[in-house]
Amino acid sequence: MNKKFLLTLARVLLILLIAAVAAALRLRAVALLPVDYDEDDYLRAGQLYAQDLRRGDWSVLTRENYRTEHPPLSKIVYGITLLNLPDFPLIPDRPTTAGPDTTLPKAPLHAARNASALFGVLEAALLALINPLAGLFVATNTFNIKYTSQVMLEGVPSFTSLLVVTAYLLWRRKPRHIWLVLSALALGLTTAAKYYYAIAGIAVAAHWLVSAYRAQEAPWRRLRWLAPLLTWGCIAVVTFFLVNPYLWPDPIHRLAQSITYHGGYAQSAAVTSAHFPFWQPLVWLSMSVPWHPGVFLLPLDMIVTLLALFGLRRARERHPVFLLWLALALGFLLIWPTKWPQYTLLITAPVAVVAADGFQAAIAEPLAAWWKRLRAHAARQQRQARGHAALSHFWQVFPWLLPGLLALTLITLFPLIYQLAMAMTDFRGSAIKDGINGGVWREVWMGLTGQVAAREVDIFNLGGGRQVHYTGLNGLINVLFGAGELYVFELVWTVLAVATQAALGVAIALMLHRPGVRFKSFWQTLFILPWAVPEFVAALSWSQVVEPRFGFLSLAAKSWSQTAPGSLPAAGWQENPNLALIVLLVAGLWYGFPFMMLSARAGLKLIPEDIYEAAALDGASGWQLFLQVTWPLVFPLLLPAIILRAIFAFNQFYLFTVLNTPVITLSALSYYIFSDGAYATSAIINVVTVIILIGLVLWFNRLTKATEGVSYA
Amino acid sequence: MRKSGAAIRAGNRRLSPMKQLAIQGALLLVAAFVLIPLWGLVRIALDGSIKSVPTSFSIWPQEITFKVFEQVWKTPSQSLSFPGLLRNSLLVAGSSALAAVVMGASMAYAFARFRFRGREPGLIVILVGAFLPLVALMTPLYVLLESLKLRSTLFGLILVYTAFALPFCIWNMRAAFQSVPAEMEEAAFLDGAGPLATFLQITLPNALPAIGVAALLAFLTAYSEFAIGWLFVENSQNVTVAMALWGIITMGSYPWSQLAAMAILMSLPVVIVFLVLQRALFDRMVFGVGGE
Repeated sequence: MNKKFLLTLARVLLILLIAAVAAALRLRAVALLPVDYDEDDYLRAGQLYAQDLRRGDWSVLTRENYRTEHPPLSKIVYGITLLNLPDFPLIPDRPTTAGPDTTLPKAPLHAARNASALFGVLEAALLALINPLAGLFVATNTFNIKYTSQVMLEGVPSFTSLLVVTAYLLWRRKPRHIWLVLSALALGLTTAAKYYYAIAGIAVAAHWLVSAYRAQEAPWRRLRWLAPLLTWGCIAVVTFFLVNPYLWPDPIHRLAQSITYHGGYAQSAAVTSAHFPFWQPLVWLSMSVPWHPGVFLLPLDMIVTLLALFGLRRARERHPVFLLWLALALGFLLIWPTKWPQYTLLITAPVAVVAADGFQAAIAEPLAAWWKRLRAHAARQQRQARGHAALSHFWQVFPWLLPGLLALTLITLFPLIYQLAMAMTDFRGSAIKDGINGGVWREVWMGLTGQVAAREVDIFNLGGGRQVHYTGLNGLINVLFGAGELYVFELVWTVLAVATQAALGVAIALMLHRPGVRFKSFWQTLFILPWAVPEFVAALSWSQVVEPRFGFLSLAAKSWSQTAPGSLPAAGWQENPNLALIVLLVAGLWYGFPFMMLSARAGLKLIPEDIYEAAALDGASGWQLFLQVTWPLVFPLLLPAIILRAIFAFNQFYLFTVLNTPVITLSALSYYIFSDGAYATSAIINVVTVIILIGLVLWFNRLTKATEGVSYA
Repeated sequence: MRKSGAAIRAGNRRLSPMKQLAIQGALLLVAAFVLIPLWGLVRIALDGSIKSVPTSFSIWPQEITFKVFEQVWKTPSQSLSFPGLLRNSLLVAGSSALAAVVMGASMAYAFARFRFRGREPGLIVILVGAFLPLVALMTPLYVLLESLKLRSTLFGLILVYTAFALPFCIWNMRAAFQSVPAEMEEAAFLDGAGPLATFLQITLPNALPAIGVAALLAFLTAYSEFAIGWLFVENSQNVTVAMALWGIITMGSYPWSQLAAMAILMSLPVVIVFLVLQRALFDRMVFGVGGE
């Protein structure tokens, strides 16, 4: 009893602590952040409400909704906040695209910001209730801090959307109606604050339906599930209308007007001229807020996102609703053309929960296991003794290793170590003499022995001068944590490239594997051609197809548009990252699918025919046969090839140089930077590449060991 | 590759004509995808009407001529003829592949057959090395070769490509040695052969085809590499085919026909080797990389 009380107390204190951290970081942001776009808009919206409400004119709520494209709840909250403040001259009505209005009066601005920040703090505290670590991740998330500490619309809905999910989860655990009503109310409020955040409600409904479908019950009993779902939905809709007084006089017309605005806005010049690639939301996730240096004290964002990657599997079991929320919201963000940074607040909470799972899976549990192993001393000694028996004598192996070891050390390992040393300096073209004559070693030695202090370094501009300087790990840390954009592109490119190559390769292998298909060896020989051609030439032949002015495609488009009206957009892909990615994927597919085809054919040949016959007897057919028999058997055999191609795609270089694309891999970037003479920066990127590859190889090692036991002979 | 009885039986089964047609149609589409860029290259190279860049869309060459090939054969770069470039390419690629295989063989054997302390981490290091992009070694090698005054020489290029190929070759040769049954070695051992003799007379000859494939892949990488060479080599006598090709591109307003002709000349030997060795590659390479 007493222990339980203490535990509860500790938990409450922890939550309060996290709330305090969240509050402190947001108050700091409220005070320090400069006025941003749109803040004048929503402050004006609040002011319009406050002016009339002060006079007791409540009808303003049905009359006024400045910036009608967004529902009014957050603006009403700002209006109430401003009620007790002295009035100030009305903020001018400016177009949405206007720059930040730096003349806003301080007192009301800060009051409104504080109101928004309150909801940010509530969000962190509510999440801490579920999982303290996740709460901490939201409390320190820089995008969340920034956009809940400014007069934006994000504060209220990011809190209420979390409430939608939390209350639903409580109801699942203990089906009391109050939780369901709370969840529905929260959904109504969320939608009335900003439409996008209603995705949390969609996630809840989806989870609800899926779990009802999965429950092994008679169909008519499933209907029992439907009734509360419908009630929940109705309450949400009613709440939405109740807290959205602007809709009361003319609901349908005003609602339609407000919603249809967004589709048009997504196509507008304000959005398209930003040239954000479709994967930009991932880029936002991979970094802390890049503007306003010095405002955010705990920029953990990149680590949190990384942890979330490790937490996906665990979250599928522990937090399926949050994972569903994350998947739906991320899918929406990737598809939706508008990519503003504040949209990441849509997924701050689910990312934090999944990241907390990732912390458990990738850090806490391995550490615990390691600790356990350390303590099991006796067992360890025993194992060591057994290991010794199997070891060959060192001097017996040494002569065999010697030539390779010498060569490897001299021409591969030593350069890599030298590269690490270069990465700790500002070695560049103008200082090449000094660097070659031992300057790099001198500086690193003096730096490591404390004779010189590490210099701050600007990796984009290493400066001039004829001398090399020690910079310590500054440059490396800058790139490691500041190049989210590059990593995200690498990830998107590698995943999509391998997926497309594997899909086409396996599809062709399946066709060629069908018994009775004619001309098999002819087709196979033909399809090997792209692989036989050097990658350089492959890239060249695609470049003469897609070259914007004189390429095959663009000339074809020109001659097409002469005979038919309208023109095809074959040119200009080099300015658009999405189109550039498609061009790269097509060329990469062309060059890479033969390898996957060969691997898949070899794998398919190992599957005994009897299995198919057995499956066919069971009544499986076509697609089912592939999904349930072929793919599970072939995939483990294909895995080494897939990983090989993934690493190849990760390193891909010639394709990017020859096609001259705006989006590039780390190795292509390193090459360009090197040819500009910024040797240290190039070395830093290479060191990062090596670090990532080590991670990939360790992972690869684990995967292939896991598949070792599979055999079909 | 041994054909199982089931596969032979399955081969006798007939497809319905409709399905046969559908599959052949799909394969034809893929063939079009494969051939379009290649045909584009061939068309441009054969078309005598293209002066600098193609200005109109056409599927067939306007006037077929081999003039461009002739021209590229004689003066592909400022200083060397195509055979000269090819000689450099073959020398650099061949030497680096050979060097990587020779220097790495015994180490690969040690990793394949012996258990020793540090073996696991050693394997990881080699695997990471095998997966490194060439660019990752470029920066330090540039400076090291510069200080040895080797940067612009063919020998320097050979060193660079060997450094890149070595871990890859060790990894693949290890797999090759592992696929030789240990019983064969034990038999030789019992006959009184020492470890070196066993390796040279039994293991090496049996692993040779797979080692050949590893060497071939190392050769091909070096053969088509241009980026590092372009940055390192300033001496115009030491230019390879790939570098000369890149040289034409970086000139800016390059004649597309020459570029295409040279790309074709460069690819032909490689493509022929690939198609001839198809079977060996197919059998060896697909699962040559794997865990223990």
